[in-house]
Parts: sequence; C-alpha cells; structure tokens
Amino acid sequence: MPEALREVQQRFLSGIIGGDAGAEALIVDDERVGARQRLDIYRNNYRASLVGVLSDHFERLHAYLGDEQFDNVAGAYVAAHPSATRNLRYYGDVFPAFLAQHFPGDGELAELAQLDWALRSAFDAPDIPLLDAAAVGALGDAWIERRLALHPSASLIAVRFNVATLWSALDAEEEPPEPVEFAAPVTLLVWRSGQQPHFRSLSPAEADALAQIEAGASFTDLSAHLIDHVGEAAAMEELAAWLGQWLADGLLVLADQPFAVT
Amino acid sequence: MTQNMTMASPGFGLGLRPDHYRDFLAGPQPVDWLEIISENYMVPGGKPLAMLDAIRADYPMVMHGVSLSIGSDEPLDMDYLEQLRALERRVEPLWISDHLCWTGINAHNTHDLLPLPYDAPALDCVVGNIGRVQDFLGRRILIENPSSYVTFRSSDRSEWDFLAEMAERADCLLLLDVNNIYVSARNHGFDPLDYLAGLPAGRIQQIHLAGHSDMGDYVIDTHDAAVCDAVWDLYATAIGMFGPVATMIERDDDIPPLAEVIAELDRARALAGRALEPAHA
Repeated sequence: MPEALREVQQRFLSGIIGGDAGAEALIVDDERVGARQRLDIYRNNYRASLVGVLSDHFERLHAYLGDEQFDNVAGAYVAAHPSATRNLRYYGDVFPAFLAQHFPGDGELAELAQLDWALRSAFDAPDIPLLDAAAVGALGDAWIERRLALHPSASLIAVRFNVATLWSALDAEEEPPEPVEFAAPVTLLVWRSGQQPHFRSLSPAEADALAQIEAGASFTDLSAHLIDHVGEAAAMEELAAWLGQWLADGLLVLADQPFAVT
Repeated sequence: MTQNMTMASPGFGLGLRPDHYRDFLAGPQPVDWLEIISENYMVPGGKPLAMLDAIRADYPMVMHGVSLSIGSDEPLDMDYLEQLRALERRVEPLWISDHLCWTGINAHNTHDLLPLPYDAPALDCVVGNIGRVQDFLGRRILIENPSSYVTFRSSDRSEWDFLAEMAERADCLLLLDVNNIYVSARNHGFDPLDYLAGLPAGRIQQIHLAGHSDMGDYVIDTHDAAVCDAVWDLYATAIGMFGPVATMIERDDDIPPLAEVIAELDRARALAGRALEPAHA
C-alpha cells in the first residue's frame, strides 16, 4: 500500500528540518544531480531563510557579532527552535532567552537582542488612540482619575549592560565600545513615534513612574506614590516635566479603551 | 479551448516592496497595479499598514500569499484564513493567490514552498483545500506553479497535467510563473513548451516574471536578479498562446531602484505588445 500523503510529508519535513536521510528514498535519484544534493537545496534554503530572518529582526546583534559568529549562533537557534509560527515576522521571539542561556558570560548579547526585538515589536504594534495634550484637554479635570496604560508600542526593558550605547554605535556603523556591566540595572523605554521605533534610558524615578502607569495607575495614583517617595514639591516638579514629555512622545493611552482589532 | 474564467487584464504591475514606498508616495509611477505579499501586512499596525492604505488609495492591488500551505495533508489553519479575510476586507484586492505547495505539517513550518508528489492523493488533498478556501473567502483564488528541485518517486503525471486537473476540479484560477517553469524545466529536464501547451488558457489570470541563480547543473529560484533572456522568450511565447494576461515583475532580494524594475516592466509591455500583433503575411 502506498504511503499516505501525510506520512510522506512528515518524512520529507524531517529530512529538511532534521537532516534525516530517510527522506532521500522519496525522491527520484538521477545521475546528473542526486537525491541527496536535491534535498540539500531545500535544507540550505530552510536554514538560510530562517538565519536571514533572524538577521533582519536582530540587525544590531548581527553587526555586533559579525557575519561568521552571527551565522553560527543563529544557525544553532534555528536547529534548536524549528519555526512554529505561520508568519515569519514572529520568528525569533525566544532568541534573546536562547542567548542568555547559552552565553551566560556575555550578558550583553541577550540584552542587545532583547532591544532589537522590542524595537521591531514597537514598529508594527497596534494603532490605538493616544492620550495627547488635546485629548487631556477634552477630558477636562476628570482625566486625573482615569486609569492609564502605556501605548501598545511602548515597553520597559531592564538591562545590566551598556547596550543602549552599543546599539547606537552599531546603528551609526561605528566601532562599538567594550561591554560594561552596571552596578545596578537601568531601564530602557522603547516606543514608536512618527512610525519609527525609538528608545531612551530612564532615570530610576521615571522608570518607576512609568512602571506604575504600566500597572494601570491614574495620574492621581501616580502623584500620591511620588509624594510618598520624594515629597510634594519635588513630586509636582518632576511630574509636570514627565507628563509633557510622555504626552508629546505618544506614550500614554486610557487603560479602559478597547485595543484596535488586530 | 476552455471557456475564459478570468477578468480582463488590468495591465502591467509590480510587487510592492518597502524599499519603494517612498517612490510610490512621491508621485504617480507608470505601473497599472501592485501585488502585496499578504503576510507582510498581517501585523497589528504601524508603518506597514499605514503605507498599505496610503498606496492602495492610488493603485489597484492583488494579494499574494506564501503561507496558505494548500498542499498540507492536515486541516487548514483557520486563524491564518481569518487574517487573510481581514486583510482582504482592508485591501479589496482584484484577486488573491498562493502557491501549489505545502510549507509544513504538525505545527512545524519551513516557510519554504515545498514540492508535492504529482499523484492522485496529493491532487485530492489540494482540490479539497482549494474548495474550502474558496468557500471561506467567497471567491475563486489563483494558484501559482512552484519552482522545484525534486521529483517524488510516487509522481505519476506531469506538473502541468496536475495543475490542469486541479484547476478544473477545484474551479480555481492560475498564476503562471514563467521563471518557475524555466527553473523546473532545467531542473527536471522537461520542455517548457509542453508545459504551456498543457495548461487551461482560460484560467490563467496573472503572470509572474523573475530572476534566478544558475548553478550549472541546476537552477535556483532566488528572485534576486533581472529576468533572463530565455525567460523573456518563454514569456513572449506564453502571451502569444494565452493572449493579454496581467503581468508583473517579482523581485524579492537585492531590490534595485524602482526605475530599474520599471524598465523591466516596460520590456514586458513591449514584448507582450509584439507577441499580440497580428502575424504578417
């Protein structure tokens, strides 16, 4: 009885993804180009296309490692993590964790990858109405009681290494500085503005304030939290400066609005 | 001669690539329509969808997918189909296409257009899946001939016989990739003219032209180079046989400036024009 199509496909797939030689028996062998060489075209395509996608998604990590090392590391990831996503856009989500696990002595690699991924995610995150100065004006005094959230493109990343500096040097195609581990973690804010992803390093106080908003605080909640920590005069001064920046950057949304359908 | 099932040709188009967004927004280009890669716009928001909407306002579009996996012997991915339908509603495309291939099975995806055996079980699988997709979308879809590097031992018919029977049984349309015919003919040693002669002319809605990499013993369908002379000749023959068919240049890698791709498209216009002139006595 002939093999069912499903079994043929399982065997062929093992031949491509796992390099299983059993798939060669499915293929017509000819003198000019043998079955193994023909299957190798698919094996090479598979590896090269996924490594290429990782290179697109982790462009600064690629620049940092150089072609040869990136190809080795990305190839190891492809071998360990066959794609389970329908859309290549989402391949590589656990590459930062893979780097953290396999290169514990080079912590900047996972963090650089994490920053690349966050920027890529900010790029095509959902579009939902922003809370800008005009929207705040329209809400009137009641706005200070409304629960806030970060725009879906915004994320906070805690890093232990100078990856912000590394990333910027690599982006400018300059020689990156040596990796440096900080005494205490620093928070990076990643967000989208004018259709382009951006990031900046936050002071501990601003990072704490944005973490409160990420958790659903209202402006009133945030004011109370800050007054507890730094006193009323300092709290009001800092909040006024931050709020102007956050509204201008398009970081804030109302927590209770439905997200755009995706 | 089969009845013509296609809509009139909208002319000569290009694959829309992000490298050319700026050119399309800057002013009108001599391009009749654009083809998008559907998956590139199956994202939540941001610049890709903003560009899509802005450029769609000025050009008719068609949607070309790479992930339908019409030949996988397992249930269709309904999440993917829902996303495809959502994009269809946004774009209102002239038509929607994907490939005669499978991309994976058991939740593992190669993201490559893998070849099928050309036998009765594969034909049943593909015909059934096309029918389900067409019922879901409420329209005929186009299926593109792939390029391939292997022949399955179980294959008992040619690719063109398979495509012809598939198109009739599933009542779908065809996207003819002339470069893929050339690539597969070189890799498998068949005559591309036999291929063209075996297709149902009345179901060919669109033509792709692209470049490839010649490795000597075999040819790889890389879409990273200009269309070669042999493919231009085959294209002229195809237009002579099938009449005016919507034609586009498909470039996926080493993307050149838009003007270079438009120059290739102009060559397609000129060749098609000559191929359709009445023969001289």
